[in-house]
Amino acid sequence: MAMRCKRCRGQAVMELRRHNAAFCRDCFFQYVGQQVTRAIAKYRMLGHTDRVLVAVSGGKDSLALWDLLLDLGYRADGLYLSLGIGAYSERSRTVCQEFAAARSATLLVHDLAGEHGYTIPEAAGQGGRPSCGVCGLSKRYVFNRAALDGGYDVVCTGHNLDDEAAVLFGNTLRWDTAAMARQFPVLEATRPGLVKKAKPLYRVAERETAGYCVLKGIDYVVEECPLVAGNTQMRHKETLNQMEETAPGTKHTFLFGYLDRAAALLKVADVAELAECARCGMTTQAPDDPAEPPVCAFCRSKDRLVRSLPVVEVASR
Amino acid sequence: MLVTARLRPPDRTVEVADVRRVADLLARLEVLPGAVLVIRDGALLISQDELHDGDRVEVRFAISGGG
Repeated sequence: MAMRCKRCRGQAVMELRRHNAAFCRDCFFQYVGQQVTRAIAKYRMLGHTDRVLVAVSGGKDSLALWDLLLDLGYRADGLYLSLGIGAYSERSRTVCQEFAAARSATLLVHDLAGEHGYTIPEAAGQGGRPSCGVCGLSKRYVFNRAALDGGYDVVCTGHNLDDEAAVLFGNTLRWDTAAMARQFPVLEATRPGLVKKAKPLYRVAERETAGYCVLKGIDYVVEECPLVAGNTQMRHKETLNQMEETAPGTKHTFLFGYLDRAAALLKVADVAELAECARCGMTTQAPDDPAEPPVCAFCRSKDRLVRSLPVVEVASR
Repeated sequence: MLVTARLRPPDRTVEVADVRRVADLLARLEVLPGAVLVIRDGALLISQDELHDGDRVEVRFAISGGG
């Protein structure tokens, strides 16, 4: 006998073992919309008069998020950052542009090489930092800067329940309490130069965002980033998924238990002093030595990378 | 009976014999059901859905790294 939708008893198309539930197409959309609405309300992530910038990669999570926010009536524009990863980046940009065009939505396109002088493949193996680390750092910087320049009130990213559980898992294994203190569904703009950040999908599992896209007919980039193979977060996700298989709800309990019971304690202990970067003017952590000029992680990383790249001779006519 | 499964990413196609339901197929492929979607003719399948001889399905991994 076919499995039935928990709400309407129609034919189920998505099973959610952690909720011991299955949903038909329409009830699944309703469920996802409710999870996002609940996340936004609980952490006061955004309002209907806010100008929202959604960081989109062309993947399932960010496009599902942009689609949901538009459906929920938010003033949401998209921002795509080209990372220079060959055909993968080209395809990603096309997918984002087509998504925006189909909805008459505004998409801002930024280019890492054109604006900052390096690509992520060039960063791979250079400058002593893994490519995923440089990629994350570059994205955070560009998203914040673009939101400031464009007068946006909040930047939304497509981080989902699995992403957040995997990051928390990694931070816990290292007892990186400073990183844990900053891992929250919303980060307020605590000083000029910082834009509020929000993760409205933190209650939605990544299998659910993928299912949402398939059922909604959203064309997303299924291929994995060619640079991501074997990265730490993927390994942590695999470990958590093994645990989830035998105990559905493990990831949910781990993440939500942290947010409800431990996050506030760590936040109190996070007393990082902030300052203005002497090079770019963005907000960064103040150096331990007050005599030392503050330079943000992005500027330091960019300096190392651009110095390590070969100089290209341009022939003069 | 024979079912053709396309696994992506990366992109690999395999033929699997004698699997009656989606859950059987995933078990045979040693894939965690909580990590994938199974798609037939554009429609999502759930673990109890029956498979038929000649079916072509996509087993799409829903895990992505980065972020």
